[in-house]
Amino acid sequence: MLFCEQCQAHVEGSLQRCPLCQSPLTGQPEENAYPVLPPAKSSLRLSLRLAALATVAVAAVCSAVNYSLPQTGWWSVFVIAALASTWLVLGVTVRKRGSPMKAVVWQLGVISAVTFLWDLCTGFAGWSLDFVLPIFIPCAQLAAFIVVKALSLRPAEYLFCLTVCILVGFVPLIPLLCGALGVVYPTVICVSISLIALAGLLLFKGSALKDDAVRRLHL
Amino acid sequence: MSDRNYLPWWRLDNAAKIFPSTSSAHDSKVFRFFCELEEAVVPAALQSALDRTMERFPIYRCVLRRGWFWYYLEDSPLPAAARPEELPPCFPIYPSLRRSLLFRVLYYRRRISLEIYHVLSDGAGALDFLRDLVYEYLRIRHPEAGFPAGSVLAPGVSERQKEADSFQKYYEKPARRFGLSPSAYQICGERLPKNQLAILEGRIPTRELLACARSRGVTLTELLTAVLLRAIYDGMRVRDRKKTVAVTIPVNLRNYFPSFSSRNFFAIFHVSYDFSKNPDCLEAVLASVKKDFQEKLTAEQLKAQMNGLCALEHNFPARIAPLPLKDIVLRCANRMAAHAATASFSNVGRVSMPEGAEKYIRQFGVLTCAGCLQACAVSFENSFVITFASPFRSRETERVFFQELSRLGLDITLTTNMKDEVEQNAVL
Repeated sequence: MLFCEQCQAHVEGSLQRCPLCQSPLTGQPEENAYPVLPPAKSSLRLSLRLAALATVAVAAVCSAVNYSLPQTGWWSVFVIAALASTWLVLGVTVRKRGSPMKAVVWQLGVISAVTFLWDLCTGFAGWSLDFVLPIFIPCAQLAAFIVVKALSLRPAEYLFCLTVCILVGFVPLIPLLCGALGVVYPTVICVSISLIALAGLLLFKGSALKDDAVRRLHL
Repeated sequence: MSDRNYLPWWRLDNAAKIFPSTSSAHDSKVFRFFCELEEAVVPAALQSALDRTMERFPIYRCVLRRGWFWYYLEDSPLPAAARPEELPPCFPIYPSLRRSLLFRVLYYRRRISLEIYHVLSDGAGALDFLRDLVYEYLRIRHPEAGFPAGSVLAPGVSERQKEADSFQKYYEKPARRFGLSPSAYQICGERLPKNQLAILEGRIPTRELLACARSRGVTLTELLTAVLLRAIYDGMRVRDRKKTVAVTIPVNLRNYFPSFSSRNFFAIFHVSYDFSKNPDCLEAVLASVKKDFQEKLTAEQLKAQMNGLCALEHNFPARIAPLPLKDIVLRCANRMAAHAATASFSNVGRVSMPEGAEKYIRQFGVLTCAGCLQACAVSFENSFVITFASPFRSRETERVFFQELSRLGLDITLTTNMKDEVEQNAVL
């Protein structure tokens, strides 16, 4: 064992200097009680950093070119908006990668909102409400169902997220009832699928859903 | 679990409710108990021992989840695995990317370590788990010693008693509310990079330390608290010296209110000393600390404090506030409460193991992660181990503390997780 003359204390491990006063130690070093750990890795991966840098570069170059050639219209705004949308969807997926059910719900929310905003900001032709949302929502419901089966999740792990996915399927009813749609078939199909899914959920997992609500809502 | 639809779950106890909102990378609210054996740990035997211990602690098989109003614990099928020590001490357990059990069992050379997220249990509950684990391990490794089968815990304690929320049991609506404690001196200084924790263990022979405390007419905890107060004072800048130095002392409420709970059941009190108005010699500090302990460490005082904290939880507007709002409020409250203390000192007390086990065990130890300087102590047979865990680069408080103990004639053996300062600088 090592010894520090200054502090009159024994020191275990393989240090060269006293941990208190940094004086040189005498005696025989021993094995350490704590492992020597490799330095912690950075949480942000290199590929993600490179992608972020490339995004900033593309946005900067497009803005510069567009500014120099104003007669071509303000197309760089669309490029930047497209990049931002991509990063938003990607970011949500990366953040929620530990829990695939949450990832599905977040993607459903973010992609729906981004699609609607694009439609709204590009003259509101109505393509998002007529086609994209009513087709995308049942796809997300199917994806959630596949995740449940593939990972054989327990009811407590999926019920809340699955219920949210199914309930979102009724949102397209709002434009339908307001008469804001040009083409109604996709929306009608989406709502019907959601209704069947909801009935199935309540009939087969009704009591589990109630238990889940009790846990989540306890005061 | 035979019925896939039935899922046990538990509300968080009163003390645990604040931890999930306030855990962060530099204050993970994770603490570690370790047991150093006389021989190297055999991983396979440790895993078998862990499997057996898990059967006796069903509440440890759970994950933390977010509700709309409160966090809660939910039964989980995740396996409990004994792993080699590859993460820094007290590495955050929650929040993490993937859902995990709220404790880990680690081994390195001769040491078995149990790291627990404070939501699950306090020191006394965790120590029960580790004692049981070590006993099972020794039974597997040393059949020749003839250890009897069964648990080291008090016989006849039911699972319900172990998972009971004793705060709820002893709560009575208080007449008045508690105010904020006055703010105390805060140790400042450069922090270690990447939320590292500098650990310094000091092993002292229990009998020598007890004799030293008794010769001064105080208890062991009182003596060490006084030495710690003086060590902190030594490192204060002159312009800060008018501020009070306060040390938080956690108290195991099981000693005052009967409970076999393996969850949280503790309270805290502050021992403070104003060096600007009182003499700084050890005798004067000891007398003041002794008086504080006698006044504050009574069943009535502890009950009043417990009721005050439980009343906050039972307050209806607080209960119906959504969880994200609670997170923000609790984080602020935690920050304000942290100003009341300079450091913290927790003496877990004596660890008892069944007869015959002591020849295989060298020492027990405990350490905890926090934003400020933390000292924890535990004794086993003749080894009293006091462990400092500090986020600061400077270890002056620890130096003065141990040098003073050395001057009191105590034989000290130090262990640290930090490499030599010179080498460390070269690496960084």
